[in-house]
Amino acid sequence: MHETTRRKFLGTTGAGAAAVAVTVAPAAAYAGGTARSRNSATEPVVAYVSDSESDQLTLMVGEREVVVHDRDLVHRLLNAAGR
Amino acid sequence: MSSHREAPEISKDPVADNTDVYAFVSPERPKSVTLIANFIPLQKPDGGPNFYEFGDDVLYEIHISNRGTAEADISYQFRFRTKIRNDKTFLYNIGPISGIRDPNWNRPQFYDVTRVENGRKRVIAENLRCAPVNIGPRSTPNYPRLAGQSVYTVAGGRRVFAGQRAEGFHVDLGSIFDLGTLRPFQSLHLIPTADAMGVNATQTFNVHSIALQVPINEVTRGNGRPTDPMSDRAVIGVWATASRRKARILDSSTGKAVGNGPWQQVSRLGNPLFNEVLTPMAEKDEWNARPPASDKRYERYVNKPELAALLPVLYPGVFPNLARYGKPRADLNAILLTGIPAGVVPGFQNFTGPVPADMLRLNVAIPPSATPNNLGLVAGDAAGFPNGRRVADDVTTIELRAIAGLTIPLVDPSFTPDAAASGIADGTTDTNQPFLAGFPYLGHPNGGYQTTPGTSAVS
Repeated sequence: MHETTRRKFLGTTGAGAAAVAVTVAPAAAYAGGTARSRNSATEPVVAYVSDSESDQLTLMVGEREVVVHDRDLVHRLLNAAGR
Repeated sequence: MSSHREAPEISKDPVADNTDVYAFVSPERPKSVTLIANFIPLQKPDGGPNFYEFGDDVLYEIHISNRGTAEADISYQFRFRTKIRNDKTFLYNIGPISGIRDPNWNRPQFYDVTRVENGRKRVIAENLRCAPVNIGPRSTPNYPRLAGQSVYTVAGGRRVFAGQRAEGFHVDLGSIFDLGTLRPFQSLHLIPTADAMGVNATQTFNVHSIALQVPINEVTRGNGRPTDPMSDRAVIGVWATASRRKARILDSSTGKAVGNGPWQQVSRLGNPLFNEVLTPMAEKDEWNARPPASDKRYERYVNKPELAALLPVLYPGVFPNLARYGKPRADLNAILLTGIPAGVVPGFQNFTGPVPADMLRLNVAIPPSATPNNLGLVAGDAAGFPNGRRVADDVTTIELRAIAGLTIPLVDPSFTPDAAASGIADGTTDTNQPFLAGFPYLGHPNGGYQTTPGTSAVS
């Protein structure tokens, strides 16, 4: 199920950032501190950027698929994943 | 084959590979319909030590459409989980399995059944036990007893079974995929050899079956039990799917895969052989991921099937009328995509509306036949394929003959089928394990110890 809303993104961005920090990003990357929201995911999250030129990020969490559009977040992921 | 290994992607994922779907009014309980979906093709019976089982990470579903939209109005979902009783042994069983609760069975499998209608989910059965595989006389000494214990009666007049069964579909795979050879007629082939008997390629293999028997009024629009075959409420569309989680992460700490995200359909089956022989290879994987309601994009392959064009080429001079026929195949379109409308076959219809969709279409007001003919409707037995599909229906022969033009006169009386159209067949007969008289109908699986490998040759 796609959930492509700005509100949903605001609700889940903390979870996405947290998942990235755990798996690929150095701790310093989020040291600036996006605080986790009360509704942030507590399950494993898989983040998927299918097109590095787009601003779209797909998050797989539980049995849901959350699609968010945030160029800054996509760039941070691409930077973290780069060599 | 019907839909065994029929697309490139699913052929690499046998646990989710839907091989056959059956839907028929139950012969011994005619107020109910039986729905069967088979998975995991071509199981060699002696394939231990890790014998075949359903995927704990697969969502198996049987869908019903009863409002003419080709959307799933009712779905039955099956989720499995496997338990290892003794983690210190490599064995599937540590002694004879005398019952499905026998602790000697080290790897029992359990499942839940959920019914979904209008978005509402309701668990209708929990913690049911699958039948084990048939290993041999020492490990599974009384297989019919084990299978019988795995038939459950569920509230609401339902019955359910999940476990290994003998393959019920017969076909000469070796010949058909050798440039369309039909052994009984291969002296007429473009590359001729002497005519021969067909070879049933599936007779020693097993599958895994999910069988469900429900009252007719549970699956019809308006929850009635129609008695008039001409009523549009008498027809249901049926198909099955398998889905996997969209993301799969391999966990190196356990060596297992972990699923994340929504379920993504990876296998679909309604009519036998649809994706197998009508859909071009480049589109088969996409077909498996789509719902029947979007099948309009594949309609052109039904209206002008590649196989119908190949037959006159592969068998020169045998199908001259078929070779000349240039109109869209409205007969196949009706049989496979919309159902047969009223007025084509006297007293019969299984039309589900104009939405082209690959579904089995069952008119539940047609009672079971007292003398079934495995060639079904084309042989005058309206209780058989393509009115649903019974386990014994010879769908290979029926569809071969239909594609060869035998059914064109149903919609175009100006066409005269070639003489060969009513005679072609792959030459196989049902030499598989015998079917059962009652639920779940498919025969007991071939035993690992009891089965002798067939002969093979390089040239």
